[in-house]
Amino acid sequence: MIIRLVSAALVAGFLAAVVATGLQLALTSPLIIAAERYETQASADPARLSPASLVVRIHGGHDHGTKDPSVAGGEVAPDWQPGPGLPRMAFTALATLVGGVGYALLLGAVLLACNREPSPETGLRFAIGGFLAVALAPALGLAPELPGMAAAPLADRQFWWVMTALATAMGLYLIAIRRAPITIAGGIVLLVAPHLAGAPETSHAASNLPAAYAAQFAARSLGIAFVFWAVIGLAYGWAWGLFGKARTAHA
Amino acid sequence: MSTNTLVLTGTRTNERLGAVLVAAFLGLGLVFMAGFAPAMALHNAAHDFRHSQNFPCH
Repeated sequence: MIIRLVSAALVAGFLAAVVATGLQLALTSPLIIAAERYETQASADPARLSPASLVVRIHGGHDHGTKDPSVAGGEVAPDWQPGPGLPRMAFTALATLVGGVGYALLLGAVLLACNREPSPETGLRFAIGGFLAVALAPALGLAPELPGMAAAPLADRQFWWVMTALATAMGLYLIAIRRAPITIAGGIVLLVAPHLAGAPETSHAASNLPAAYAAQFAARSLGIAFVFWAVIGLAYGWAWGLFGKARTAHA
Repeated sequence: MSTNTLVLTGTRTNERLGAVLVAAFLGLGLVFMAGFAPAMALHNAAHDFRHSQNFPCH
């Protein structure tokens, strides 16, 4: 059973990654690269000019917490990053594949744990739940952001993101699968609680980044996430049936 | 006959629990690697994916 689950997840993750990588390269990557130009511009003011800031980095002006404050900016060896153009696209594709297979494995685990026979229909239904839990609900508090947009500390945001995804997933489970009045009430509380508690405060400092870029990016990002999940769900259900048939044929 | 069915169901339940745990562990590991791992090399490699999929990034 684990072989069948992992095989189906690999197929689903691969197909979803192909589709999502195409969409990312066409729709979001150009915006990210455009935003980085503003980010590097902002960090290249003469007061902070150092040899390191002349190198165009993935994040021009960000402090990622890895800088050693005792070392002057220019003396820190730059961290590895993929070269611009093709290598960067290839690593985006690789990351999408890893993420897609990861999500597909989680989807398979949830389907099995909920005792549902995977089919394209059930796969899609649970995948929409996945989209709501890890894409839409966290995005309500932490909008998809471009490089160069000021934001709260990373650890706070990651914590809120994970908590929101877990609470939303649990809430959806209580509402859609348990379906008793008491669990529905509990589910609604779980869905709403992270947003009442509030996401880490976003800074409202002005940015050079045109607002249209940010708005377009947020909409595209959610659209891509939806397609990503939909393909994962449909393909997982399809591949599960496929590997089931193959096994019966061999037996 | 009924014993057979029971045994079969028992094995299938254990097998299913194992599969759920293994898949969940692997899946969380992969999602962590793509979306959250703090190592700078991993962060930079997955940078555009993280932004596009709305993982908290830098």
